[in-house]
Amino acid sequence: MYKFPSEEWAKAYYEKLNANSDYRDSARDWEGDITLVINADQGLERDAYLYLDLYHGTCRRYIFTTDPEHIPKSEFTYSGKFGNWKKLINSEVDPIKGILTGKFKMKGSMSKIMRYTKAAKLMVNTASLVPSVF
Amino acid sequence: MWFFRSPSIVYGEDSISFFNELPQRRLVIVTDGNIIRAGLLQKIKNELPSDSEILIIDDVPIEPTISYVLSLKGRIIDFNPDLIIGLGGGSCMDCAKVVFVTYERPDIDLHDITPLVNLDLRKKARLILIPTTSGTGSECSWAAVISDDDHGRKNEFASPEIIADFAIIDPAMVSSLPEPVRKSTAVDALAHAIEARSSTWKNSYSDIFSDKAVELISGNLFDAISHPENMEAVSNVHMGASMAGLAFSNSQITLAHSLGHSLGAHFKIPHGISVGIFLPHVIRFNYAESKGEYVALNKKFPPNLRKRYLYLTVENFLKVLSMPVKISDLNIKKDEYEKKMDSMVSVALESTGTVLNPRDAGRAELEMFLREIE
Ligand SMILES: [Fe+2]
Repeated sequence: MYKFPSEEWAKAYYEKLNANSDYRDSARDWEGDITLVINADQGLERDAYLYLDLYHGTCRRYIFTTDPEHIPKSEFTYSGKFGNWKKLINSEVDPIKGILTGKFKMKGSMSKIMRYTKAAKLMVNTASLVPSVF
Repeated sequence: MWFFRSPSIVYGEDSISFFNELPQRRLVIVTDGNIIRAGLLQKIKNELPSDSEILIIDDVPIEPTISYVLSLKGRIIDFNPDLIIGLGGGSCMDCAKVVFVTYERPDIDLHDITPLVNLDLRKKARLILIPTTSGTGSECSWAAVISDDDHGRKNEFASPEIIADFAIIDPAMVSSLPEPVRKSTAVDALAHAIEARSSTWKNSYSDIFSDKAVELISGNLFDAISHPENMEAVSNVHMGASMAGLAFSNSQITLAHSLGHSLGAHFKIPHGISVGIFLPHVIRFNYAESKGEYVALNKKFPPNLRKRYLYLTVENFLKVLSMPVKISDLNIKKDEYEKKMDSMVSVALESTGTVLNPRDAGRAELEMFLREIE
């Protein structure tokens, strides 16, 4: 089991994403990095950041940190409170509905991301595959 | 937490008389030449208060582009309307929605028309949509499809703020529809209802509109085709199409639309035909995942059309309507089709309908569907 969020969880996620052939297929033209921001709430003391460099269906590099200074400026950010991330990973919240109901915020070109909703869904599904504790 | 969104709906015979009591006086009407030639604009004008000042945009193309929409901006701002009316099929209504945004917020990039941006509209005007086909459901939806200038991509702009203030569902607007248009648009509407019922975003509100839409469309379409003077049948199909619009706008469409958009974009095929051709195949593919929904919908078809399973019923429905079932019926050459296979799969994969389908589908499954109609 991997504690979310943590370096170990991030590494397990990175490996699972790169092993996911459905994801590779649906993101095969994607170029763009994204930072997942896990905002502190009652369950988490400090904000955490997971930077993912996504390119043509693979994740070339990841950075996990609690220091925003260590994160490169990325094309997209997807942020939400820790409690909502927990629901997302447990498949209790749909990632797009999460945005539309204000549980998550997405920054970056929406017209670009809307062409890759399948890849985005598979990214979230992959997070659910990481055995997680909170 | 989730929402149910809808315009106020004025429906039934004589609903365009709603315009008699209109509080606004400076109106922009967004429409096209066919609507004017069919006398529909005049019907609306006859109902407007006599002191109304009207600017008519009469040249909306079949596939409006971003630069077309932006080209209207200056004229509309100069005219300073307090009401924008979209009169026509999906293109005119979608165009009116986006024109409404560019007038209210000239500062905004069209790509910012997403549910994530607070547009803060309705500071200057209101929006009314009047459909002249029974199909697209655009009058009830919060999306607008506008093509890139090179027609390479269709942008789906969406925001709850571009839902019309009023949708006017008057059968007089569709009583003289040409038969092929009546058929293909009704198939589109039927697909909206069926796909909304099985999308992963389906919900109790969208379900009831799906069920009633299927009942009204399947139970009245053949009367509306053979006796277009039967206003009750025409009105029922027209209402059914708007209910299907409410259903999919509050749930979502699925694979038949993903594939239909892609096929339609690659071979210039009317939307209802390109979606309808995949509909029975998609229902069969999803059957195990959506059995309960499909059984419920199947019961809504009249007994003379109904078969044992929904996909057989829909297949039969399309057959009775003489709708195309294979690419050869669409005059598409096999080698041309093969050449575009990979691109068609990619475009279908990009569609949100693919993500919200009840059963997962990747490249291999999408290609399988495209081959089933070959
Ligand atoms: Fe449609």
